[in-house]
Amino acid sequence: MSEFNPNILAFCCNWCSYAGADLAGVNRLQMPPNVNVVRVMCSASVKPEYVFKAISQGIDGVLVLGCHIGDCHYLTGNHRTAKRIPLTAKILEKVGIDPRRVQLDWVSAAEGEKFQQVVTQFVDDIRSLGPNPMKEVRF
Amino acid sequence: MRLAFEERGADYLLAIKEAHGQAAPVLLRKGDDAGTMRFDVPYQMTMILTNISRFIKEGRIAVVARRCDERAIAELVKRDLLNHDNLVVIGLACSEEQIRECRCTDPCPSSADIGHCAAPAKEDQAASSIQSMPLPDRLDYWIDQFRKCNKCFGCTLNCPVCFCDDCLLEEKTFTPEKGIPPGLAFHLIRAVHLADKCVECGECERSCPSDIPLLALRKMVNQDMKRMFNYTSGDPERRSPLLTTLEGDPMEDDGDAC
Ligand code: SF4
Ligand code: SF4
Ligand code: FES
Repeated sequence: MSEFNPNILAFCCNWCSYAGADLAGVNRLQMPPNVNVVRVMCSASVKPEYVFKAISQGIDGVLVLGCHIGDCHYLTGNHRTAKRIPLTAKILEKVGIDPRRVQLDWVSAAEGEKFQQVVTQFVDDIRSLGPNPMKEVRF
Repeated sequence: MRLAFEERGADYLLAIKEAHGQAAPVLLRKGDDAGTMRFDVPYQMTMILTNISRFIKEGRIAVVARRCDERAIAELVKRDLLNHDNLVVIGLACSEEQIRECRCTDPCPSSADIGHCAAPAKEDQAASSIQSMPLPDRLDYWIDQFRKCNKCFGCTLNCPVCFCDDCLLEEKTFTPEKGIPPGLAFHLIRAVHLADKCVECGECERSCPSDIPLLALRKMVNQDMKRMFNYTSGDPERRSPLLTTLEGDPMEDDGDAC
């Protein structure tokens, strides 16, 4: 069996985390190739609906990255994220999907290295969880 | 009930009466013939109330409400969908049988004007047995359940606190246009939208033609809301934690209250 390469979706907010990702790229930090970055204006634009859709279609993990609390470009946008993303993970757990498949973290524009660490760690975590069981499910 | 008009000074009364051997909701004015009133059928009064209060601008409406209706009204008042000053709530205590059916843990209205409060149910057996399954079994269980869904939207339409005019679930981004069942995301999206509003009235589960244990899922999510934010839906005093900042202040923009 070939090694499991998880398919990861990373939502990054435009003002901090995406810039952090950019910095990681500019600095040529080594990064796992299985991460698809989606740029959103604020981490609060990541509605639970999108996470649910991704997970129910078989994405192995969803990473939500935003500005540190207090630094959100829209002031309290990430407060909303800080509440709804953990709830989203909890609801997934209720129906039997490992809540660790959804993770939230804060990465600023200056934290290229943190971006690399968070992403690498997340990919490792998901690799040890194995593929998303929803991949096999046909409704 | 003349209680509504004489004692509490309402102009209208929303209640259930016997019609053609069936129970039907009616809106009565002072002096109307009430016929035989029925207090034994669970009926989604809150939804009817929300609908008619768009048209009745003058006068106060009295409504016969169970505890869950009362809590649903509180959720709607908080979101400016109902005006508390225009309402007179007449409390109806649920029967033991109804309490058993809903596994209701909070059955007693703040003033039991009709009937007597019976004891609340213990924790929900269905929910706790699902909770005790290991994750893969739990997923199998829910997949089997959700496969039965025929996308009738009964659970959505009959829910007293599901209030958006344009439902996200009618968008093809989230619900496939063609074919049933609609998949897992449909049910998860409903779960998250109701997380801060569901009053556990059990209407979704009663409405579901496929007998999906929707109330069990709601109860599980509500327990999480309690654990994570110490929040219980139907509390008239507290704003939903999903609409406040980490310090508990109202969000500047709660554009999508849903
Ligand atoms: S039990 Fe079902 S119908 Fe009743 S408030 Fe909760 S989600 Fe809505
Ligand atoms: S009532 Fe039942 S069958 Fe109808 S949409 Fe809701 S879950 Fe599906
Ligand atoms: S702009 Fe970065 S979290 Fe809001």
